Amino acid sequence: MAANYWESTQRRNWLYTREQLDDLRKKLEEDDPTRVQLYPLPQLRYLSIYFNQQVARLGKRLGVRQQAMATAQLYIRRFYSKVEIRRTNPYLVIATAVYLASKMEESPHHIRLVVSEGRTLWPDFFSSDTSKLGECEFFIISEMSSQMIVHHPYRTLTSLQSTFSLTQQEASLAWSIINDHYMTDLPLLAAPHTIAIMAILLSLVLRPNQTGVQSASSAGNIASAAQAALSSVGSSRSGQGGAPRTKLQRLVNWLAESNIDIEAIVDCTQEIISFYEVQEQFNEKLTREQINRFVKACGLDK
Amino acid sequence: MSLASNPPSSGGAPSSASQSRQTLKRSVQQAFDDPSDRGTGPIGYQSKVRVIDRYKVIGFISSGTYGRVYKAVGRHGQPGEFAIKKFKPDKEGEQIQYTGISQSAIREMALCSELSHMNVIRLCEIILEDKCIFMVFEYAEHDLLQIIHHHTQPTRHPIPPATVKSIMFQLLNGCQYLHANWVLHRDLKPANIMVTSGGEVKVGDLGLARLFNKPLHSLFSGDKVVVTIWYRAPELLLGSRHYTPAIDTWAIGCIFAELLSLRPIFKGEEAKMDSKKTVPFQRNQMQKIVEIMGLPRKEQWPNLVNMPEYAQLQTLSGSSHNKNGGSSLEKWYYSTINSHSATSVPSSNASLGLEGYKLLSGLLEYDPERRLTTQQALQHPFFSTGDKVSANCFEGMKMEYPHRRVSQDDNDIRTSSLPGTKRSGLPDDSRPVKRMKE
Repeated sequence: MAANYWESTQRRNWLYTREQLDDLRKKLEEDDPTRVQLYPLPQLRYLSIYFNQQVARLGKRLGVRQQAMATAQLYIRRFYSKVEIRRTNPYLVIATAVYLASKMEESPHHIRLVVSEGRTLWPDFFSSDTSKLGECEFFIISEMSSQMIVHHPYRTLTSLQSTFSLTQQEASLAWSIINDHYMTDLPLLAAPHTIAIMAILLSLVLRPNQTGVQSASSAGNIASAAQAALSSVGSSRSGQGGAPRTKLQRLVNWLAESNIDIEAIVDCTQEIISFYEVQEQFNEKLTREQINRFVKACGLDK
Repeated sequence: MSLASNPPSSGGAPSSASQSRQTLKRSVQQAFDDPSDRGTGPIGYQSKVRVIDRYKVIGFISSGTYGRVYKAVGRHGQPGEFAIKKFKPDKEGEQIQYTGISQSAIREMALCSELSHMNVIRLCEIILEDKCIFMVFEYAEHDLLQIIHHHTQPTRHPIPPATVKSIMFQLLNGCQYLHANWVLHRDLKPANIMVTSGGEVKVGDLGLARLFNKPLHSLFSGDKVVVTIWYRAPELLLGSRHYTPAIDTWAIGCIFAELLSLRPIFKGEEAKMDSKKTVPFQRNQMQKIVEIMGLPRKEQWPNLVNMPEYAQLQTLSGSSHNKNGGSSLEKWYYSTINSHSATSVPSSNASLGLEGYKLLSGLLEYDPERRLTTQQALQHPFFSTGDKVSANCFEGMKMEYPHRRVSQDDNDIRTSSLPGTKRSGLPDDSRPVKRMKE
């Protein structure tokens, strides 16, 4: 269903457990051991950060909205859960995903414009032949079984903003945490409303006027603060919760009264926090070189 | 049906250009099958399944601007029959090229993959092969255009009231599901409403449908004109930029009227777009509506005065039947449902009675905000009074409608891409073809 997440193809076909997702990827690598051995790649999170940067660069040039870029990133993640990355030209996949997502999000761009911007951004890795992008579109849609309607956490965030009286700062911090989660596997592991609540929780724990999210030294503290808040949900559910004094408490009480899976929120929190820790070590140059090496060596840019 | 007659693929390795297509195919296939053989260079896109391996084409059904529709049966015991919609690939010279899939095809593929309801046509699968898109749907033997047409031959005889009631209920039910899922159909008309041989109504052709929850752009900006003109809601004719599900319910009202009278109720002539591509005021169509419904008044439609084309309304003449400009829909309704009773047809539509009129006028309400929603219409007393509504619109019928005409002229789903005839079978009653280029 287009409006109902519970009946959506996203929930039925594109939600995995961590083990399932790892298995899928392992199988892809096992199918092509020689290539995998010849062209080592950085860990997937680094690749995701790099892809995210490239999507953002192209998106900025084209004037693509945030939601369409989020859709593009989700398409890329779905696609690479089915196709080994070393068999593709990631730059072509990125541009095609943006092109397709723009159409899906009702702000289409002409294929020729997308190709010419791709040429400008990645001149050594991008063909000026529009049919390459058109062909890649077939590839992506086919691997996604034409399931292109996606549900994002942004809508839940917007609808809960007043429920928890989030300030503009808190809401925009939650919003950027949602933006960041597209660089993790969370979109394939958790429901959008779970992600949204995780983002709200973190925005309240972090209190935007105090700490920055990027501060790796505080990541442990953030994790334990979030953990503490969530574990108090259990006691609230057993009726020990008092009147809410803080927004965080209000969220905890609200969660206690809901049927939302607290474990899932805990998992999401850990995933995003460990991502923020890893993000510190991201080396763009190394990542780019490793990608560019297999693209050139395998002639994937032709 | 020979593969050799296909245009050569342009997606494969350049060195293979001189080889036959089949050899090329096999070599590319091997590249997929044998990991050790994955040498250098990108692999051209190849579909994992091939449409002619999965389906046997029985004949050609129709064609439109989008491409062609074929009737087919499964080769691997898939139950039932299928309608395969093939989207026409763009051609550059003789060579078919990947040119990017049109937004309307993308919408239809995405929406049909997501939707699932007994009164919405069911998508079985989509095959992307050789630069073409094949959407495989369940087959429906009839459509409302064909059924209405049948009742005008050789002379006019009404569609039985139980059939009308069942069709309306199922049509509303399918649209209610679409609206509940934030999908606007935007092109409801008899030709797009399918009916299976078991009498199940299925809303079809979601080529213009789209989601209406929180669009990034206003629904107006993308495609300026929607809905075939005879079924176009007055707010659209008056230039409204705010699309709501009410545009679909107006079209459903028009279809209801057409099921009763066997003619389009508001059969206007479309004003063509001028050279500056500005959308003209559809004076003739609006006039046809006003002739039956009277001029809209701001007392019944408070937002009327804010319509961009409001000033144009003053230039239209009111109902000829009614001097004070009021609606003559009631008169139209009773003269329609009673017109056949004089010829002593037992299944006269007179039995649809007062509730039928109330439902019709609720669907053809000028003010989109007061117009019945599909949800309200389903709960209308029209459906709860009299005989129980059947899930099979043909229940109790002695006669059988003629089957969809399937032609043998063009059975090769893989090659032909140039639309020839408009539609095999029915003359289309010179219906306007509405499909905006995006």
